[in-house]
Amino acid sequence: MNGYRLGATGVVATFFTIVTSTVLLPMVLFNPKPSGHGNDYSKTAVAKVSDPVRGRQIYIREGCVYCHTQFTRLQDRGYGPLVKAGDYVFETPHQLGTARNGPDLTNEGVKFPSEWQKAHLVQPRALKPGSIMPSFSFLSNRDMNDLVGYLQTLGNMRKVESFVEAPTEYKAALAKKTVDTAADASANAGRGIYTQNCAACHGMEGRGNGPNAISLLKKPANFTRPFYKQWQDDMWFFRITEGVPGTRMPRFGEVLSPEQRWYLVAYLKTLPTNNEQVVDSIEQLNPVDAIRLPKLSNQLWEPETGGSHGE
Amino acid sequence: MFLNRLLSDREGSASRNMMLSAMIWGLLGMGAGLFAATEFSFPDLVHNVPQLSMPHLRMFHVNAVAIGWLSMAYMGAMFYMVPSLTKTKLWSERLGNLVMWGWNLMMIGAVGCMLNGFTEGREYAELPAVLDCMAVAALIAAAWNVYATVLNRRVKKLYVSLWYFLGALFWFPLVYIIGQRTFVALPGLNDAIIGWFYGHNILGMWFTIVGVGMMYYLLPRLTNNPLYSHGLSMLGFWGIALFYAPTGTHHVLQSPVPEWLKAIAVISSIFLLVPVFSALTNFFMTMKGKWQMMVTDLTLRFVLTSTVFYYITCIQGPFQATRWINWYLHFTQWVVGHAHLALLGAFSFISTAAIYYGLPRVTGRPWYSIGLIRAHYWLKTIGFTIMMLSLTTAGLIQSAGWAMGIPVDQWGLQIRPYWLIRAFSGVLIFAGQFIFCYNAYRSLYTPVKAVAPAKVQEVKV
Repeated sequence: MNGYRLGATGVVATFFTIVTSTVLLPMVLFNPKPSGHGNDYSKTAVAKVSDPVRGRQIYIREGCVYCHTQFTRLQDRGYGPLVKAGDYVFETPHQLGTARNGPDLTNEGVKFPSEWQKAHLVQPRALKPGSIMPSFSFLSNRDMNDLVGYLQTLGNMRKVESFVEAPTEYKAALAKKTVDTAADASANAGRGIYTQNCAACHGMEGRGNGPNAISLLKKPANFTRPFYKQWQDDMWFFRITEGVPGTRMPRFGEVLSPEQRWYLVAYLKTLPTNNEQVVDSIEQLNPVDAIRLPKLSNQLWEPETGGSHGE
Repeated sequence: MFLNRLLSDREGSASRNMMLSAMIWGLLGMGAGLFAATEFSFPDLVHNVPQLSMPHLRMFHVNAVAIGWLSMAYMGAMFYMVPSLTKTKLWSERLGNLVMWGWNLMMIGAVGCMLNGFTEGREYAELPAVLDCMAVAALIAAAWNVYATVLNRRVKKLYVSLWYFLGALFWFPLVYIIGQRTFVALPGLNDAIIGWFYGHNILGMWFTIVGVGMMYYLLPRLTNNPLYSHGLSMLGFWGIALFYAPTGTHHVLQSPVPEWLKAIAVISSIFLLVPVFSALTNFFMTMKGKWQMMVTDLTLRFVLTSTVFYYITCIQGPFQATRWINWYLHFTQWVVGHAHLALLGAFSFISTAAIYYGLPRVTGRPWYSIGLIRAHYWLKTIGFTIMMLSLTTAGLIQSAGWAMGIPVDQWGLQIRPYWLIRAFSGVLIFAGQFIFCYNAYRSLYTPVKAVAPAKVQEVKV
């Protein structure tokens, strides 16, 4: 480069050094083993009703990634277990995403019934008022079934292996408990205590929707979530006694006797599970039925009706 | 004869055609952005038209403004500035025009693909394989043209702008080839690492470098001041060359990619303050004694606005890339605001200035109306400032929402006013671009007699 040989060499050398160290080197050194928690698309059999592999292509085609991410961070409470490097081995091209104008979809599978997902694609605002998601009513029935099938696989393989445990002194309290928390009689006794102390915020059925919930910035816990089904007695007792820092949940240790708190634990353990359906593979999914939404004034988005699904 | 019209070898025709195509793609791209922004406020605006659904418009918007508008304006500006800096002719106007046609053809393909969802599913690298190949071929041809021009130069010393242009034309085709991952399928996180190498370096190795090179060209030319320091500009050049390329991983800072890669990305992001401050010191010291020209010279006003936006975006960037601020701001509209600050605020303004400066000199026809230039300036500046503020505020609300664990349904309602303000600012920006195109159309395609008398070489009040 007549007189600029050093400069040209520098430009070429810096670029290739950087490409080698930050592009090629990670490709060589970073080869996470499949964790078994991500989706293994090579093994997913094509189901009769909906094909999640094709559903992923629809997800890409419709650009879902521009508003929905697929990785959970430490601070994303309520979005399921944290992702690990091995979860993404079969995700090509990656759909990690950059912006969240909607919720994170890492663990979206089986959070909602398939019918709900399909109706939500057709008219999001019928199910989530105030949502700004575009309507995907232009998708064909097959596309929509496949897309819902894909959404229902998200995070299915991801299992929680360890939980937050109560402090050790509450393990000691467990040994001293005077109430049989597995007995129906104890749960019956706890029911009255719950109605008087808890229902105003947590709701009569423990769904976190009591009348006070509307005014709380940090919403009360929904005890019907599967998360609470794995809580042991000591964890329940700990939370009731100490309250939850950063929320309006008070320390009921100041108000209730230990016996009353144990009755409450017995009652809380009998609350129903929100979504009983647990699916391990796509074969077990409910067939996506033709949906019938409540009649609304806007006829434009009327979903396809009649006929069977997945033709 | 027909070939002569299609691939003209008239001096300056490649530059002129590139600039004009860029303006059209800019108009279309900004229009798509405006339409998508409107759909954020009125999600039921369009039904059953897949081509107009928000994600498809967004894909097209990004590709049209980045690959269509900015890249074509950059190549057009280089086809004008490089011959002017080397005091020679462009190596081949025909090749330049061929690149222009190829690039336009690729963009037409991109319209069809993006609006119908034929995407590779990689953010910022959506274009399908055929269009990727066309883009690479066109880039290599453009680089060949510029390099050959520089080899024919009649000025021995290379001015700093040429360093930037030549560097960019070497780096960007390679970054494009590596980053598009056209014919490779990598496992998810490796795909993300290369994806963000590309996503960040299309900025670092192309938009920033050529944009800063144009600032280095336009400021001394417009003010007739010598460049403050050649040494400082070289520090900026090597700073960008060393620290920009490895920063990509800061886009996936909380995903499970290797920690050492994140560390490299964060550290080099902070080191980017070195080239930024050296370049801006150079710009502002070059302006010494000539600041009053900003009042009268509209082209200079575009350049200076661009440097100020560049300054703000480059202050934001390194801090956003640190783990603790990224923890809070990632995934929100703050980042969208930051991206617009760089591409719309800094680099669109400098491209606009280059066109305002270059087009009359290439075509020999003065601008039709100075008033329209002024209207363009204020519409873009006010529109963009409103957009930036609304996106930043929306981003802070979203950040608080994610950090406090507030459900999307709740903060989603809180940011609705800001979506509306953003859409309104889009109207101003689109109007500005429309006025720009109209002004160019009237300058070039109305008889000379109808044009108000103005000095050919000067764009002044």
